[in-house]
Parts: sequence; C-alpha cells; structure tokens
Amino acid sequence: MKSTRLTALASICAIALATLCTSASAEPGITKDTIKIGMFGPLTGPTAVGSLPLLGASAIYKSINDAGGINGRKIELVIEDDACDPNKTIAATKKLISQDQVFMIHGGWCSGTVMAIKPELASNPNLPFMVLGAASAAISTPVRPNIFQPVATTNTVADAIVAFAATKPNTKRIAIISHSDDWGKSHLDPEVAKLKAAGLEPIEIAYLERGQVDATSQVLRIKNAKPDIVIANLYPPELTAYLRDAYKYGLRAPVVTTQGVSVEDMVKRVGMAQATKELFVFYPLNNTLDAPAFKPWIDLYKKYNPNDPVETLSFMGMTGALAVVQALKDAGPNLTQENFMAALNKLKDFNPGIQSGTLTFSPDQHAGIREGKVIYMPGAKPEIVAKYPAN
Amino acid sequence: MLPQLLISGIAVGCVYTLVALGMTILFRSTTIVNFCHGEFFMLGAFGVLVPLQLFGWPYPAAIATSLVLLLVVGSITERLLIRPLKNAPFVTLAMMTVALSFFLKGVSRFFYGREVVSLPPLLSGDPIELGDFATLFPQDLLVIGFTVVVVVLLAIFFARTRLGKVIQAASQTPRGASLVGINVPLLRNVMWAAGAFMGAAAGILIAPSTLVYPDMGGTMLIRAFAAMCLGGFGSLPGAIIGGVTLGVLENLVGGYVSSSLVEITAYLVIVIVLVIRPQGIFGEWKQSRV
Repeated sequence: MKSTRLTALASICAIALATLCTSASAEPGITKDTIKIGMFGPLTGPTAVGSLPLLGASAIYKSINDAGGINGRKIELVIEDDACDPNKTIAATKKLISQDQVFMIHGGWCSGTVMAIKPELASNPNLPFMVLGAASAAISTPVRPNIFQPVATTNTVADAIVAFAATKPNTKRIAIISHSDDWGKSHLDPEVAKLKAAGLEPIEIAYLERGQVDATSQVLRIKNAKPDIVIANLYPPELTAYLRDAYKYGLRAPVVTTQGVSVEDMVKRVGMAQATKELFVFYPLNNTLDAPAFKPWIDLYKKYNPNDPVETLSFMGMTGALAVVQALKDAGPNLTQENFMAALNKLKDFNPGIQSGTLTFSPDQHAGIREGKVIYMPGAKPEIVAKYPAN
Repeated sequence: MLPQLLISGIAVGCVYTLVALGMTILFRSTTIVNFCHGEFFMLGAFGVLVPLQLFGWPYPAAIATSLVLLLVVGSITERLLIRPLKNAPFVTLAMMTVALSFFLKGVSRFFYGREVVSLPPLLSGDPIELGDFATLFPQDLLVIGFTVVVVVLLAIFFARTRLGKVIQAASQTPRGASLVGINVPLLRNVMWAAGAFMGAAAGILIAPSTLVYPDMGGTMLIRAFAAMCLGGFGSLPGAIIGGVTLGVLENLVGGYVSSSLVEITAYLVIVIVLVIRPQGIFGEWKQSRV
C-alpha cells in the first residue's frame, strides 16, 4: 500500500516537473541560446543535385552563427535526406516535428515531396515551413498560413518559358515533353494555358517518366511533329536522356526548360556540346556566376562547402534562408512561431541580390518571387538572354 | 518512324536480354531468383566509371577490370551469403538477395550519391543510314552484336558442352549429382560469378547510352523480370525473345499509343502474361508428384 502511494506521488512529481519544463520553453525548438531548424532535401539518389540548394541555405545559417547568431541565439541545423521520395519526406518531416521538435522546417527540392507533406503541415499549423526550391504553384496556392515559397513558382516559370519560346522568329509549332507527376503537371498545365491564350496549341505533348533512361519513342514522336521549339519539363537525369537521344536522332529544335536543372550541370551530364548548344534554362538568379556582383555569395558558399560544386542550384536556397534570418531578427528576442510567421508576412521587396526578382510575402501571397530570366551556354560561358538569340 | 522504333527497340531489348540471361542462367542452375542482379548491372557500369574517372585508364582496361571484379563479387556473394543458407526456404534466399541489393545500392550511394555521370560511347563513328527509314548507331550495333555472341556461346555451352549439361543436371537433382561425384557447390559458385559477369556486361554496354548512377539497376531489374515472364522463367530462348520483344513493345507503345505508357509497359507485360500464359512463351509447367 505504502509502495503504491509512493509510486503515485513520484508520478505526480514527474508530471509536474515535466509540465514546468514545458512551460519554461513552450515554443518547440527554442532555447535561451539556440533555434533548431530542420532541413531536408535529396542528398542521395538521381536527383541529388538538389542537395546543392540545401548546402547553400545551410551556408547562410552557418555564416550567421559565425557572426554571433540572431538575438543571442545560434541556429542549430538538423538535416535529413529525403532522396526526393515522398515516403521518405513524410518520414523525415514526422521525425523533425516529433522527435527533433524543431522550431521550423526549411526543405523540399522536389515538388512532389512537398505536396506529399502538405497534410502533415496542415495538421501542424503553428510550424513554419520555408520551401527550399520546390516550385509547384500548388504548394503555395491557395495560401496556407505556415507554408512560404521563396522561389519562382511553376506559374512564373511557365509564363517566362512560353514568352521566351514565342520570341524565336516564326515560331508556330511548339512541342512539350514532360513528366506526368505533380511537378510536371504543375508546369504543363499553365504552359498549355499560356500557349492557348497566345493562339497556339502544342503540336505534341510527350511524356517521359522519372527513371526512364531511353527517350527514343518520345524523341521520334516529337521529331515527327516537326516543332520549331520544344518545352521540356524534366528533371536532370531524364532531360539528359532526352537531349542525348534528340541529338542522336537528328532532332535539332531548341529546348527551353525549367529551373529544375542547371545549365552548367546539363552541359556536363550530356557530354556533347552540340546537344546542349540550344538548351535554354529558366534562370532564377540575377547574375551569371562569373559576374563580380555574385562573388561574395560564391565565396560564402565555398567557405562552408569547399568540396562541393558551385552551380546555379547552389544559390537557390539562399534567398529563403536569408528571409528566415531576416524574419528571426524582426521577430525579436521573444521569438515564437507565431511572431516569426508574422514577420515573414511583412517581408516586402526583400532583395539580398541573389534571385532574379525581389521577394514579397503577405498574408494573402506566399509565392514570393514572380520574375525570372533565361540562360544558355553558347560557348564556354553561360549568357543570360531576354529573348531567343539571333544567330 | 516504324523502322527506327523497331531498330531502337531491338537495341534496347538486347540489353534487357543480357540482364534477363544473367538471371536466367542463375535460375536454371540454382533455382534462385536473384533480386540483386540489378545491382550487379549497376556495379558493372561503376566498375568502368571509377577507373576511367579516378585513374584515367583506357576503356579496355577499365572494362576488363570491371568484368573481373564482378566475377569475384558474384563468387564471393555465393560463398559468403548464399551457401550458408543452402537448406533455407527459397523465400529466405530471395530475401538475402533483396538485402544485398539494398546494401550494394547503399554503398554506391555513399560514394556517388549526388552524381549522375555520363560515359563516352564505347564505339564512335558515323551512324549507318538504312535508306531514308532508319539510322543504326555504332553503339547500338555493338550492343546487338555482343548480345548475339553471348546468346550463341550460351546456347553452345548448355547444349553441347559436358559442363553445361552437368550444371543443368546438378540444378535438377543436386543430391543425385553429389552422389555421382559432381562438386555442386563449386558449380553454383561458378554460375553466380557468371550471372554477375553477365549483369556487369549489360551495365557496361548500356551506360554510355544512358547515365551511371546508384539507382540505375532497379528499373532494369523490372525489365528483366518482365522479359523472363514473357519468354518463360528459366528459359534461355525465352529470355532472348522476351527481352527483345519488350524493348520493341515499349518503343511501339511509346511511338504509336502514348508516351506515358512506356513506363508501365513492363508491368503490363508481367500482368498480362501471368494471367493468360503464366509459363510464358517458352516456359513449361513443372509438375511434381507428392
């Protein structure tokens, strides 16, 4: 009997202590001197080139720590590999929320994976989520209060791509090759809508699925349609297969593609300069990497990632990280998830000089960037162009 | 478009055939379905890539190294992982190959997680124009030629040589074979090495046309299964016909029906064959008396 009472007393004390501890730091992931941020992206697998934006974003956080932190707190990163696999992303998100109890999450390179965790984010409405690089417009439309997208969305990309394609003289016949997943469709649908609005119908829409390494039938279908230009909504491995097969079968139509790839990486992957000479890539940055204005960002990236490649994608997560840092500063020392998101919603024309356009969030608009350019590789160095270059 | 789709389909189908043949010879001689054959395929490609990239070796030396390496990997796999389970149920053996598949993929992801690398063509030169209808590329010609050579050699080996016949006999009645003095474990070891060799050869042949990355084996394994199902599990002619038919079918479906169906063609083939003719084109029903 005595033992039972003692056990009950001990249990009550333990519960009381736990409650006290909880109320002392009610905000998850916040201590007196740290802010815990969860990150995830494809560190392995065929789309692991998407780890570059994660490295860029983490370089920003590390540099902030080296400069003394934010309002007396240093940023502690918990990084997970989702390999762009929705199942792994769901598991990583649950772990970051439940086990690591992070203050916020900054992650997601593949749109399909971010779409997969939207229900999880909806059931944790206090958890701020900053997208790393995933571009599907459906991520931030309609607006979810805790999801912020600091990249040009697929709607913006589709606008820019179709507008660019139309600048090629006498362009009437436009073909599209696309993935059929969420990400592919989120580009394809607005592209078709834009083309129709311009009085053009795609002459061929071919699908190349993720993981396919042979694009023969797709290339031959498109070649048969005799396009003036081809729009490609493909991830890097499949775009490589398409470009190599297109060159192999004599399909010479220029290709315009999304920000899911980097032009330097594609030139390297395809390994045939002729096959990538007329590859035009939506460019999310405001300068080429060799521009003097971009050097400080390259130096910062290299400082924290000395052994990793420096490519366009390396800088795609940086603006989001800088927005997070700015909002953490603006939220002040009494940091909560609520006042952090309120600070994000007040970011207007935020322009650290990396992205092609300024970043603006508001309670009604969480797709932060609505501008972009096009880049291609006519020779040894990439060039940013506003319209199809005259030969 | 049709001639080009057929020729390209045959070239791709030859790669499926090589992968399916590697699995078939192992299945015929050990009755094990090897789920890590896709990773042998992947390792073959990496076995060439690493010496080329890191040491700057010429192609022939890198290819020879890769093939020898995979012979050793196949042999070690049998000796260390499969032989200790010789009396285990088939499902245990299958699970061991699944585990090995994930292990090998994990190791390659550790070193090449972010990389998707292209290899230069094994054969360069001008494409051969077949009238106005189609173009045959040197690389495709190499793949088709190599497959034909392998098929002929395997046919001679299993039908005409004493060792080939012994291997088949030993797989059907291992105990009987042991009683007449045949070293069954050694034969099985040799067939694991040969299976891995075949997987590597297919990986080396296809890598310059596609890309090299740690997950490249998974898709190919499904294709090989589909080819084996179509042709008949355990049948050498079945693996050949199944592989080539699947390659052509994928191209025709993609070219004339819908490109979105290419990816699921292999799965459709598996389902349709299992429903209509489970033993495949050349397979036979095996009945046993209890």
